[in-house]
Amino acid sequence: MLHQALHLLPTLAAAPPAHADSGAAATPGGQLLMLVPALCVLAALFSALSGPLKIRSKIPGYFSVACLAGAFVAVLLTYLGHESGVKIAHGFEWITFKWGDGPGQALTGNFAFYVDSLTLLWMLFVTGLGALIALYSVEYMADDVGLGYARYFFAFNIFVLSMSCLVMADNLLLLFLGWEGVGLCSYLLIGYFYKKPVAVAAAKKAFIVNRIGDLGLVLGLLATFVAFGTLGYDPLFAMIRAGVDAKGAPIADSWVTDVIPLLLMAGAFGKSAQVFFYVWLPDAMEGPTPVSALIHAATMVTAGVFLIARMYPLYAADDDHMALSLVAWCGAITALWSATIGMSIFDIKRVMGYSTISQLGYMFAGLGLLAPTGAAFHTLTHAFFKATLFLAVGAVMHGFGGQLDLRRLSGVARMRGFGIVGLAMLVGSLNLSGVPGTAGFFSKDMILAQGFSTPASMIEAPQAIAWVLLLTAGLTAYYTFRAFFRVFTGPVEYLPGDDEHLLEHGRHPKGTTLAEWHKQHGHGHGHDHAHTELTGVAARRAHGRKDFDPTTEEFDPHPPGWAINASLVICALLAIAAAALYFVKTPHAEEGGWVGGMIERSSAAFHSPHEFNLLGITSHSAMYLVSALVGLTGIAVAAFLHAPKGWQGLFLGSRDTAATSRADALTPRLGRVARWARAKWYVDELYDWFLVKPLRGIAYVSSWIDKLLVDGLVDAAGALPARVGRVLRPSQSGVLHGYAAGMAGGVALVLLLVLIVLN
Amino acid sequence: MSDALTLAQQGWPAAFPAVTLAHYLFVSAAMFTVGLIGFLTRRNLIIMFLCTELMFQAAGIALVAFGRYHLDFSGQTFVIFILTVAAAEAAMALALVVLLFRKRETLSADEWTEMKG
Amino acid sequence: MMLASLIIVPLAFALFIAVGPERSAARVSLVGMLATLGLSILAAFAFDWGFGGQFQFGMSVDWLPGLGLTLSLGVDSVALMLVLLTAVLGPVCVLASWTAITERVKTYYAWMMVLQAAMIGVFAARDLVFFYICFEFTLIPMFLLIALYGSTNRMRAATKFFLFTFTGSVVALAGLLYVAWHHAQTRGVWTFEIDALELAARTLPPHVQALILGALLLGFAVKVPLFPLHTWLPLAHTEAPTAGSVILAGVLLKLGTYAIYRFVLPFAPEAVIEYAYPLAVLCTIGIIYGGLVCWVQTDVKKLVAYSSVAHLGFCMLGMFALNHAGVTGSVLYMLNHGLSTGALFLLIGMMYERYHTRSMKEIGGLGARMPVWSTFLVFFVMASVGLPGLNGFVGEFLCLMGAFQASDAWGAGLWGTTPGDSTVGGTRGSLGPWVAAVAGTGMIIAAIYLLYMVGKVVFGTLREPPGHASHADHHAGDAHRAAGLPVDLTRREIGALAPIAALCVFLGVYPKPVLDAVQAPVERTVTTIAEARGKPKFRPPVELAPPAEHAAEGAHP
Repeated sequence: MLHQALHLLPTLAAAPPAHADSGAAATPGGQLLMLVPALCVLAALFSALSGPLKIRSKIPGYFSVACLAGAFVAVLLTYLGHESGVKIAHGFEWITFKWGDGPGQALTGNFAFYVDSLTLLWMLFVTGLGALIALYSVEYMADDVGLGYARYFFAFNIFVLSMSCLVMADNLLLLFLGWEGVGLCSYLLIGYFYKKPVAVAAAKKAFIVNRIGDLGLVLGLLATFVAFGTLGYDPLFAMIRAGVDAKGAPIADSWVTDVIPLLLMAGAFGKSAQVFFYVWLPDAMEGPTPVSALIHAATMVTAGVFLIARMYPLYAADDDHMALSLVAWCGAITALWSATIGMSIFDIKRVMGYSTISQLGYMFAGLGLLAPTGAAFHTLTHAFFKATLFLAVGAVMHGFGGQLDLRRLSGVARMRGFGIVGLAMLVGSLNLSGVPGTAGFFSKDMILAQGFSTPASMIEAPQAIAWVLLLTAGLTAYYTFRAFFRVFTGPVEYLPGDDEHLLEHGRHPKGTTLAEWHKQHGHGHGHDHAHTELTGVAARRAHGRKDFDPTTEEFDPHPPGWAINASLVICALLAIAAAALYFVKTPHAEEGGWVGGMIERSSAAFHSPHEFNLLGITSHSAMYLVSALVGLTGIAVAAFLHAPKGWQGLFLGSRDTAATSRADALTPRLGRVARWARAKWYVDELYDWFLVKPLRGIAYVSSWIDKLLVDGLVDAAGALPARVGRVLRPSQSGVLHGYAAGMAGGVALVLLLVLIVLN
Repeated sequence: MSDALTLAQQGWPAAFPAVTLAHYLFVSAAMFTVGLIGFLTRRNLIIMFLCTELMFQAAGIALVAFGRYHLDFSGQTFVIFILTVAAAEAAMALALVVLLFRKRETLSADEWTEMKG
Repeated sequence: MMLASLIIVPLAFALFIAVGPERSAARVSLVGMLATLGLSILAAFAFDWGFGGQFQFGMSVDWLPGLGLTLSLGVDSVALMLVLLTAVLGPVCVLASWTAITERVKTYYAWMMVLQAAMIGVFAARDLVFFYICFEFTLIPMFLLIALYGSTNRMRAATKFFLFTFTGSVVALAGLLYVAWHHAQTRGVWTFEIDALELAARTLPPHVQALILGALLLGFAVKVPLFPLHTWLPLAHTEAPTAGSVILAGVLLKLGTYAIYRFVLPFAPEAVIEYAYPLAVLCTIGIIYGGLVCWVQTDVKKLVAYSSVAHLGFCMLGMFALNHAGVTGSVLYMLNHGLSTGALFLLIGMMYERYHTRSMKEIGGLGARMPVWSTFLVFFVMASVGLPGLNGFVGEFLCLMGAFQASDAWGAGLWGTTPGDSTVGGTRGSLGPWVAAVAGTGMIIAAIYLLYMVGKVVFGTLREPPGHASHADHHAGDAHRAAGLPVDLTRREIGALAPIAALCVFLGVYPKPVLDAVQAPVERTVTTIAEARGKPKFRPPVELAPPAEHAAEGAHP
């Protein structure tokens, strides 16, 4: 019964939703949004000029905050004035030229914005978080005032500019401009500490891996142009909605819906660090933490999600949803894969990095499972809570000289001045773990529930995807609270990182100390060694808060100032408040709250198949219970293994030092699996051996071929006349009489020939 | 014109009926051969130079003879030019020989083999 | 007169420099270059961009009318833009040589001015003989610039450069003369006007056109340089003085691409259509192979030199796509490559002047020492990588787009399309998505080798050549001052770079004027190709047409 009913759905899905008025033709408007790039350019120019103008203060930072806040206000005003439909704000003609009057005989890549609710949804959090994290950076980067400050804020503003172009573009070409622009900023900002070889390598890796995906995106763009004769969303969506390409041929069962989505997907996966492409994102954690928060957690990495959401009509137009199935599966596998790594590594920032990859996997799974609303909602909530988490981690890093090893920090939340950080971290962790009532809970639930109710006729094995995601949810809760319990609760104990010396020596703190430390202690599972090392060599221990007196210590952990705390508080509040969005009633959508309303009004609108409903229990309400249970189990396991004694550890834990926990006894039993997971499944090494090294080998071979074969042939050709000359050389004796005799003989010969010929 | 051609071919002027074109060409060829043999056999630069002059003038005689035979004065004109150039050349060549002599204190052509490849 | 003055003014300044005093040579040269630039800007204003496809500022002086030899000048928008590029790079080159050239200054700058005149002459020529004279004459100043002012291995580099390119162009001359002879045979008059020869060449049967194509490509592809005729380039670049490299990459290579655009496509359209695929394969090999070779270079200058091989592969790929997007992209690529790669050579020259090495083994982390220089380097690297918003992207994207579109299979039901004319964005051609995809990997490789260079030279820990300076700042400062240069860039050097950077941004953000301007000439070229496609493959041999008949009739049997 259910199955038969669901068979009707593809046609229903392909048809434009009756109440979604995105089908209406676009009208001019939304010019206010032009302020966003204008303000970003202004801020970027000011930041850039502050270098040569020798401004040695925080002014560029504050100026950027003001500009970005202005941009946010512009977006907000546009949002408030936006009812429904699409407006196009025309800026100027960028790569626009025509060679004929027919379709497909003009390339229109204008600098123009496509303003619909999907755009606005993304822009709200891009500019909002941009302004907030700029404020955080003002203080976080204070050490670099007059040095890299101008560079940092220049790249930061260019990032927001590019991200705005990416999100607001009215055509795929401008989207590509933003796409590459954010890639550049990511490169510049990951490599911000350019004296650290690790950071430079990470920046390079990020850019190049992204470029591999970008090739797919470029080819997708070109294929789109070939099929539809345009790259502008408005004409594109009109054709796709009608189910035809520019020639009027149906696209549902053609190469158009088979190939283009896959190519675009490659681009999306590159930028959003999925499947084969994820390797750059953990390394990107070498950048300053605010950058990790904004670019590598909240905004840039969601560009891939945005791309697929933006082009959702094309994905949905495929009759067998092949690309969407692939997106869903890739997302789910990436989610699980990176969660396993997140569980086992000790660098808390990288834990957050892997968790970002994992959560992005969720978003892609959501898109693939025909739940664009869930994906968008998860993007939004994730933007807030992951930014909160990163900012909190950043505050710890800032306070402890770049220390990130969770075995070398403990009880941070109990230290003076770190209360807000601890609370923010808790808020973020609860969200990430999907604890009931949090925003993360609702958004994750939307995707999971959809997975269990999407029929297998539309997507390959959606239930299996949902189970994978559910398992991942449990693992996520575990690794999140592992980090939380280890770093923020328990006895106060810390070992500073050596960031202090960074500027003088230009070397990587972890690259030297932690690596050596790992070498000595065999990946750290010999906890006794770790313990002695911590207590014996350099640990500054303080039992409980009362004993702790920072003034007598050599190292002062400096608690965050007002700017960091303020941004943390706002971010955490936003992360909490995002849950309320789920309950906002909107006339535009039956479910999904505010985000549902936004998505339903946009081009990404998709009527998700009806829910599975058994005895009055919908998949959503069932999921509330199941995912809550899974999440809480994960937290309980984390508490048992890593939490300290007492209420802080939910009365489950027993940890009393920073370096050791119950998990240390457990991991050897897991044997290779744990070791391999901690080594990130050796994926980087694999790539190195099977891609980078062979390619470099080919490059060397090419270089030799060039020198020996190609140029050798040229030189041989050049040497040929010389060879010939060497053969003829002896005939030149230099004796005058020889020449004369030769000449006379020659003349005689010629005369003889003439005679013979004449006779 | 045709009369003049006939006259010349009949051996005009009649005062030297025996001297025909062939005589001139014989003298020319003999002079050229003497010059050539001299040039190939002698080692003295000055003698060799004189031999080249001999060959030169042999060619001049042939030119004049043919010019006269065809009643075309360009042959003689050419010889005037050749004589002028030969004079200039003689000056140049002798000067060069003097220079060469100063360098090696000998006039033997075998001393100079710089062009050997 | 406009164009004649553009050629005469630099020549006149060359004369001034030659007779003037040694110490004012650089200044006179700068004035001369600026005057040329001013004149060319004036020409740009006087040019009627609405009729960019027509040759303007035309003038013709009879030289040996009996042999059909005239000196004719005239530019369409493509040629004018290349003239502008040449004029812009002129003063930049003088500024780049300001402190680098200390001996035989007069000779240097005089030849530089002559080179400038010759290059402008190539773009402004409307008859074959003048074109060829200028084309070949560029070799002499360039040969001398490399041979007299280059680094250690300069004689070998200069000789190789001269002989390699000269050998090629002699063959090209043979091809061009054959066309002129064919014109004389069929029309009964000798002429070297390009327009007339174009029409005559198109009446040649396909197999002869193929020979013409081969001859012309042998000459011009060496200059481009197209794989496998590129080996002179890295050598010449590494040995040439900075300004020489800038001109070499910026303009001289464009002589090749321009000649292919001007002669090969219109003279042998049918042959180009026939051989587009193998040529595109050569371009693609050049893109990937050139890129990979870049990656293992240790000499920064050699790296950038090889990158030209890869970049011009893109340019040629777009050209051989033979459609609007491709040819437009190709023309834009000529301009953009001239600017960004020229600037990269300038930057490397500035570094070399300070450190006297270009080896990435010896230097590194200069971001800490020379922030301004590093900023410019990263900027131009990004322009070179083809970052949208900077100039490189527009041309690269359009070239790829052209290649992607150009496939007969779009209409024939391959590539998964339904049979019949089922796509609107596809064009006729033999390249198609796979060529675009394979060539597109060049985008990735470009990122790899250029970021590898940036990572080594700009980022990382500071490394300076041994003996150059200690790690202490003041010592390094002293060492530079000894060479007459401060640690970071001087105002003169910034003045040379900033205009190029501004142009890069402008052409990246607002390429519209250029795109519009080149449409008319590109339209001409593409129409030629389209007409050639319409022709039957085998035709009876061309009959001798009576001389009085107008040329145009002969072109369309």
